[in-house]
Amino acid sequence: MISFLVLLGIVVCFSAILALALNFQWGLGGMVNFGLAGFYTLGAYTCALLILKGGANTLVATLGAMAIVAAACALTALVTLRVTEEDYFAIVTLGVGEMLRLVALNEDWLTKGALGLSGIPRPLDHLIPHDVYVYFLLGLSLALLLGTLWVLNVLARSPFGRIVRALREDDVVAATLGKNVLWARVRVFAIGGAFIGLAGALHAFYYQYIDPTQFTNIVIAYAFMAVIAGGRGAHAGAIWGAAVVMVLLEGSRFLKDVIPWLDSDRLAAIRIIIIGVGLILLLVFRPQGFLREHRLQVDLVTATMRNR
Amino acid sequence: MIRITRRRMLKSAAALGAPLAFPYLNLAHAQGAPIPIGVGVPLTGNAGAYGPDMAEAAKRTAAKINAAGGVLGRKLELFIEDSESSAAVAANLTQKFINVHKAQSCVGYWGTPEGMSSRPIAVQNKVVLMVSSAANAITEGDTQGYVWRFQMKATDWGIVISRAAIKLGFKTVGVLGLQNAFVLPIMKVFEEKMKEAGRQVVDSLIYNPEQPSYRAEVERIFGKKPEAVYCFGLLPDFVSIIKEVYRGGFESKVVALSIMADAEGKFVQAVGNQVAEGIRHFQPMPDVAAPGYKKFVQLMGAPADRVFLFPPNTHDQIAITALAMERAKSPMAADWSKQIITVGNGPGQEVDDVVDALKLVREGKPINFQGAGSTCDFTQNGDQLGRGMGHWIIKSGKSVFVEYQKP
Repeated sequence: MISFLVLLGIVVCFSAILALALNFQWGLGGMVNFGLAGFYTLGAYTCALLILKGGANTLVATLGAMAIVAAACALTALVTLRVTEEDYFAIVTLGVGEMLRLVALNEDWLTKGALGLSGIPRPLDHLIPHDVYVYFLLGLSLALLLGTLWVLNVLARSPFGRIVRALREDDVVAATLGKNVLWARVRVFAIGGAFIGLAGALHAFYYQYIDPTQFTNIVIAYAFMAVIAGGRGAHAGAIWGAAVVMVLLEGSRFLKDVIPWLDSDRLAAIRIIIIGVGLILLLVFRPQGFLREHRLQVDLVTATMRNR
Repeated sequence: MIRITRRRMLKSAAALGAPLAFPYLNLAHAQGAPIPIGVGVPLTGNAGAYGPDMAEAAKRTAAKINAAGGVLGRKLELFIEDSESSAAVAANLTQKFINVHKAQSCVGYWGTPEGMSSRPIAVQNKVVLMVSSAANAITEGDTQGYVWRFQMKATDWGIVISRAAIKLGFKTVGVLGLQNAFVLPIMKVFEEKMKEAGRQVVDSLIYNPEQPSYRAEVERIFGKKPEAVYCFGLLPDFVSIIKEVYRGGFESKVVALSIMADAEGKFVQAVGNQVAEGIRHFQPMPDVAAPGYKKFVQLMGAPADRVFLFPPNTHDQIAITALAMERAKSPMAADWSKQIITVGNGPGQEVDDVVDALKLVREGKPINFQGAGSTCDFTQNGDQLGRGMGHWIIKSGKSVFVEYQKP
């Protein structure tokens, strides 16, 4: 049981990094990324291919995946020069994401197509004994998650973070005040992209086998669920959101071991319903999510003080 | 409004988690404790049609073995989980089988992605993985004897289907294949064998899943007017394709796989009798005349003429697990995985009932187990031999059996 929880912890870590990246792009920057699954695919495949075909070590491959996804995201964001409306941008990202997934599925010479890439090595797996390796991977994932949280928090609280939030609220006002809207958008999207690449690399390390079926659009749904549940714009909230979504998804499998009348056929049918109901309840009773965005927290505290 | 603090959140998470974790805290391998087996089958997702019968077969087989005294004097305990037809989910539940339930045998695994993602986990943990998936890659490379295929491998499908095509006298054929790990090797071998036999492959293409329309693909292949078009894919894409073919008024004969053109009757339901008329379909199937298969149909409580494609494999996976454990006198996969070939291939007394077979093994007699889905003979690398393919033709909405062929 303990090692299963450890493994679940690793899944939560890379899901949380993905949610953090989305939260930075969408929650903070207001740039809807419906191509998340495609960029995530790009990260995982870049990392795996750099190791398997490029002979890179896992560190270089991870950095490579981050750089490539960041570049892809930056290029996508450049399109915002013409499409400033949030929904048009969402459509562009959807298209780019779909293209990336189709490349992974069809370019057999590079990605082995539907068969996928197997035998992906893990960081330092030749140095660490097999029976304690999962603990190391959990530690590594946790460290990377906390690192991501720290970097994004620092960015969000810097002057750059203020420009980003201003863009989300009203880009015309920001432009009128002399801020370079396009450049800021490109940077937000690229920074988010780098962390999507990191999550993709961790996904590849964890499963050691990647194929296009792992990167369907449900990935986007889970990431958005995590961000919304956590509270849009709140970084720490996104981590809580990802953890709750993953615990609901994987933990609900255990229901049939505790509830005797629930067999696996029934559970399969009602599990997704349970998850849906859970999220609806969350949105009904806590529509703003678990946590508030950093700056808004101050208001909340003063408001509570005023009420006393 | 309740304020959710970090501390309160941690407390509630622990409160939620504790009762769930409780049943597993004391799962030591005590003598007489049940032997856990993980069963990962698709109950939802695009292969959701096939999982429920596989799960039922696993339950009934384990119940039969348990009623006759179990294995090594211990009962078998099944943990059945939904793989959602997804590679990532399958990997997570294989981890659950191994780490939570301490299973030494994981069976089921309908699709190639499920098998491929679970394979490294099984090999690393030295646990046996038994799959029903077809792609050759599942057993390629060093599996250390932990990965076993209870299915005909994809390239053999191509051999049987091409032989039948030659027999049917098709001089020109077109091929439409889904971008999928088990389809591509079938296509490759099929086209090679047709060309070797001097038949012309006028065109072939690979299409993507979940496209809104397949008109362009259908027009390209059927527009060249081959005598027959061979389609390899899954049910949802085939339904769209065949509707386009009907709409376009193309006259080439259509040949497909049974998971597409039959799918437990779902295909004819979706397109109607008229559109389905004359479509031929192929699928690896058990030898329905074999006594092992007949006993299996009885065990399932189904009518004698019912053809089960995948559940007999699940039955055989549980049976071979039980027999190999009993032969090795150990529930640990590192010991009993070496006995799979001994009990499956023989040499020894041929026996088709798992309870009789267990009795013989306990008496120390050599056996050659004949399963429900196949004769349970394997190559050293875990590929199954001795499974054949069925060939049907749809007439007035019913699939009429044509022949049974081995590669």
